[in-house]
Amino acid sequence: MSLRERLQSWRYNLVPDHLVGEILTKRWTDNAIPFLALVVTLASFGSIIPGFFKLSSLQESTRQLGEFSMVVTGMTVVMLGGGIDLSVGSIFALSCFSAVYVFFILEQSIWLALCASLAAGLIFGAVNGYLVGYLRLRAFLTTLVTFIFGRALFDILVTTYAADVQLSQATSDVLDFIGDGTFWGLSVSVWLAIILAIVTHIALTRSRPGWHVLAVGGSRRSAHNAGIRVRRTVFMTYVFSGFCASIGGFLIACRLSGAGPGTGLNLEIMALTAAVVGGVSLGGGRGSVVKGLMGAIIVLTMTNGLIRLGYGTGTNQMVLGIMLAVAVTIDIRWLKNRHKVLNEVYVAPVYLKMGDTQSAVPGSGTPYALDNRLSAADHIGLGELEGPEDVILDRDDHLYCGTRHGEIVRFFAPDYVRSEVFAHIGGFPLGLAFDKSGNLISCVGAMGLYSVSPDREVKRLSAETSRSWTSIVDDARLRDPNDCDIAPDGRIYFTDSTKRYDAHDWALDSIENRATGRLLVYDPRDGSTKTLLDGYRYTNGVCMAHDGKSLFFAESWACRVHRYWLEGPKAGTAECVIRDMPGYPDNINRASDGNYWMAWLGMRTPSFDLSLRHPDMRKRMTRRLPQDEWLFPNINTGGVVKFNETGGIVEAMGDLSGAAHPMVTSMREHKGYLFVGGILNNRIGRYKISGADPDWTSPASYWGAKP
Amino acid sequence: MILDPILDVFRGKAVTIPPLDGAFRPNTRLDDAPVFAELTEPDNLLSSGDRLLASSGNAIHALAAGSEPVVVDTFQSPVTALALSPSGELTVGLESGTLLIAGREVSLPAAIRCITALAYADDGTLWLANGSDRHAPSEWAADLMKKGASGSLWARMQGGDFRKVAGDIAFPYGLHPVGGDVLVSESWRHQLVRFNTAGHRTTVLAHLPGYPARLSPAGDGGAWLTLFAPRNRLIEFVLQETHYRQDMIEQVPPAFWIAPALSSSRSFLEPLQCGGIRTMGIHKPWSPSRSYGLVVKLDQAMQPQFSLHSRANGTRHGICSVRENDGQLFIASKGGDCVLAVDLASGGF
Repeated sequence: MSLRERLQSWRYNLVPDHLVGEILTKRWTDNAIPFLALVVTLASFGSIIPGFFKLSSLQESTRQLGEFSMVVTGMTVVMLGGGIDLSVGSIFALSCFSAVYVFFILEQSIWLALCASLAAGLIFGAVNGYLVGYLRLRAFLTTLVTFIFGRALFDILVTTYAADVQLSQATSDVLDFIGDGTFWGLSVSVWLAIILAIVTHIALTRSRPGWHVLAVGGSRRSAHNAGIRVRRTVFMTYVFSGFCASIGGFLIACRLSGAGPGTGLNLEIMALTAAVVGGVSLGGGRGSVVKGLMGAIIVLTMTNGLIRLGYGTGTNQMVLGIMLAVAVTIDIRWLKNRHKVLNEVYVAPVYLKMGDTQSAVPGSGTPYALDNRLSAADHIGLGELEGPEDVILDRDDHLYCGTRHGEIVRFFAPDYVRSEVFAHIGGFPLGLAFDKSGNLISCVGAMGLYSVSPDREVKRLSAETSRSWTSIVDDARLRDPNDCDIAPDGRIYFTDSTKRYDAHDWALDSIENRATGRLLVYDPRDGSTKTLLDGYRYTNGVCMAHDGKSLFFAESWACRVHRYWLEGPKAGTAECVIRDMPGYPDNINRASDGNYWMAWLGMRTPSFDLSLRHPDMRKRMTRRLPQDEWLFPNINTGGVVKFNETGGIVEAMGDLSGAAHPMVTSMREHKGYLFVGGILNNRIGRYKISGADPDWTSPASYWGAKP
Repeated sequence: MILDPILDVFRGKAVTIPPLDGAFRPNTRLDDAPVFAELTEPDNLLSSGDRLLASSGNAIHALAAGSEPVVVDTFQSPVTALALSPSGELTVGLESGTLLIAGREVSLPAAIRCITALAYADDGTLWLANGSDRHAPSEWAADLMKKGASGSLWARMQGGDFRKVAGDIAFPYGLHPVGGDVLVSESWRHQLVRFNTAGHRTTVLAHLPGYPARLSPAGDGGAWLTLFAPRNRLIEFVLQETHYRQDMIEQVPPAFWIAPALSSSRSFLEPLQCGGIRTMGIHKPWSPSRSYGLVVKLDQAMQPQFSLHSRANGTRHGICSVRENDGQLFIASKGGDCVLAVDLASGGF
């Protein structure tokens, strides 16, 4: 082995690249960037500005934060509904003015002032909502118009009444308390903001109207098709935003006891920046109140911090603009490319040097040499079937197979022309086995281990095992249960091929070649599932030995067959009985002559074997080429191989033309015939085995003659 | 994406190839075409008088409708190029690097060892394409996978000696004299280049979707271009992968390389790409493939007009030579072991 190759093997087998992809599959990574920004902002301003975290300084900041975060909450809801509200600043200002006008000039009670505030906000919100929701005008332009209109109105009113407000004698304890008081150490505005945030959060995540908002934001058309009243939902989001802004306006009126030309100035930009920086998507449907709050804290810390560092309004605006631009770019790019990044990063190949193998080329003289015998097989269900991964026959000679539509199809003996859907399970039924009482046990890809009773009752036996300590994605879940077999005591031994890929992506696992396959056992007596062996490269077929004391299981990508001992001195251990085959083994089943049939799902190719020694090349390949172009093992040619109790190869047959049985994933001997299935095939083959016992059946071999 | 140029430094650029579109829009005309003659690996086609000659292995066969190919001549090593001089002398290039004109061996400069194409201009000038200075014509795949660009173009004026017109051509594989100039198909760079007698080069047609092979004149003053194999993104990717490629060249038998091929899916030891997996009995015609059948008609300005295809699921792959004769187009499918005849008059192209 060259130095380069040795370094490659260390680099790719010891560094856990696959964890990056696994972390990216977690939804919380969406929050990671805003959270990081929050921590960085707080930490940097906290360390630059002395006394930044002092209580007195915080008290003033948090009051501001309370008002501001309410506005942001409103903005967040509008954005979740797929809109944008630029008028929050002017609504905020007008609400503030309304309260001031009622309280100081009309000298009415503070509660009436609150009502006036709310009314101003709700009216403006309703106008926005009507125009955007019902008349379906563009949210951006509409709210821009209401923003300009509201701001102009506010400017006129403020200049007209400023002097009157100054001269007013009105006072109120309630107003002072709201403006300056604290309750359990926190100001009223913070309390209100917290309550509003909690209520909104619960409404969005756990109530029908909240879900409607998210659905409308996620996809307007789908929401409409699902029967959601889209227009009304949009309308309500703007009303809610107006409501939030008006409470904010009322609070600032109480705090400042007046309204000035600067009230609510640039608030819309700050609120928008806060929402986007927090990670609320501009496209709608993605985000949360918490994200909005994180953004609010970031933006406010930033602007206040900059002011205290002595930077003017210009700098502040500039920083806000830059933050908005960066956040929008990240948001759009991340949203658009997340799955691409995940696709690119997820496949993390490892190094493997496959052992030299004997040739399977026809006429090569090895026991593996394939011939063309299987092309002579009759076909069953041609064109009706899609994806019979495994096939099995019952005591009455009926034929069963799974399909990629999640069904178990039964073909009736003796001619296997007529068929019916025996049961619908879902997922992708793969390995099949009959237990002693005639229940059909199936490993269902992407779902788990299932049992179908003779009267078609589907029951889940197992969908999880215990989780390993170091896993990032939940490896307790059975991801790709592949084949099963049943011991004489009724325990079901089955394989879960990979922890890394879902059942339909099984072939991708060969590119990565990481050893994550497991052998598990389900005990029907207590319903428990235990992991027996872990760390094989795609565990596949399972077959009880004829004496029931051990079982064979296939390790596909390593081209090996192992024997796992159930009893005797080696109980609980596995040993390799066939290694370095020229094909990738799939299901294994008993043969009538005391040997075993093994399906080959594909053949090793020199170019692919070589690529296993170049994990860096495979990694770049997965990143730079679309999946259709990736180099795969040759799974267009398979075969059926017979081996004996000690792992010696007896014979091999195939369909070299590839017309009828390109890939073989299972075969079952029954009364002198071999029934052949393939996960990517559209038929079951029936091949007459010369010299086979014409009475031998698998149910009898497992459970004795018919009772 | 704006960050792509930055990210490309770390992850490399996506590998892309020109799409089969416009004049290259796929069809199944080659697979629909009737077989004119069955012949093992027919390479060059030539019309000599009323006969159609085809080279196959060491022999030249005469083909006629409704009869078996007749061997006209055999040679010491495989025939790699054929041409007919204006005076009717059969000119044959061999794998061994020998050039025979009317049966007599012509002495060649030592640099010529890989005769891939021969063509006579109207004034009697003989153009010769030397594919590579280190590989024989049959080792073309090695030349490609080693990124060879050592081909050269030679000319022999009437009565003179061979003179090197241009070098550093990445496998010149086809010749088409146009006036005093010659059009050369530069295979590994997927382009057609025009050379004048002084060796000045101008690119006529670039970004071809396959590896161009031989050119032959069309009745309307245009030309027929054959592309012997398709471009494939995995192959182009492997060409960028130095270590893997070197190991592959050293350790894997050439037939099973990740490299273009004249035919594919004949052995289970050949590489397979994800898209080429047979699913539900179907081999997708648009799947990536190492071999393909493609003949392109070029107009008088040498721009593509239309094309004939045998797609990934077809069998008439590896077309290296065509010949237009009396309103019929004869197509030699080296990967499909047959010569096809397409009626141009009724073509409906």
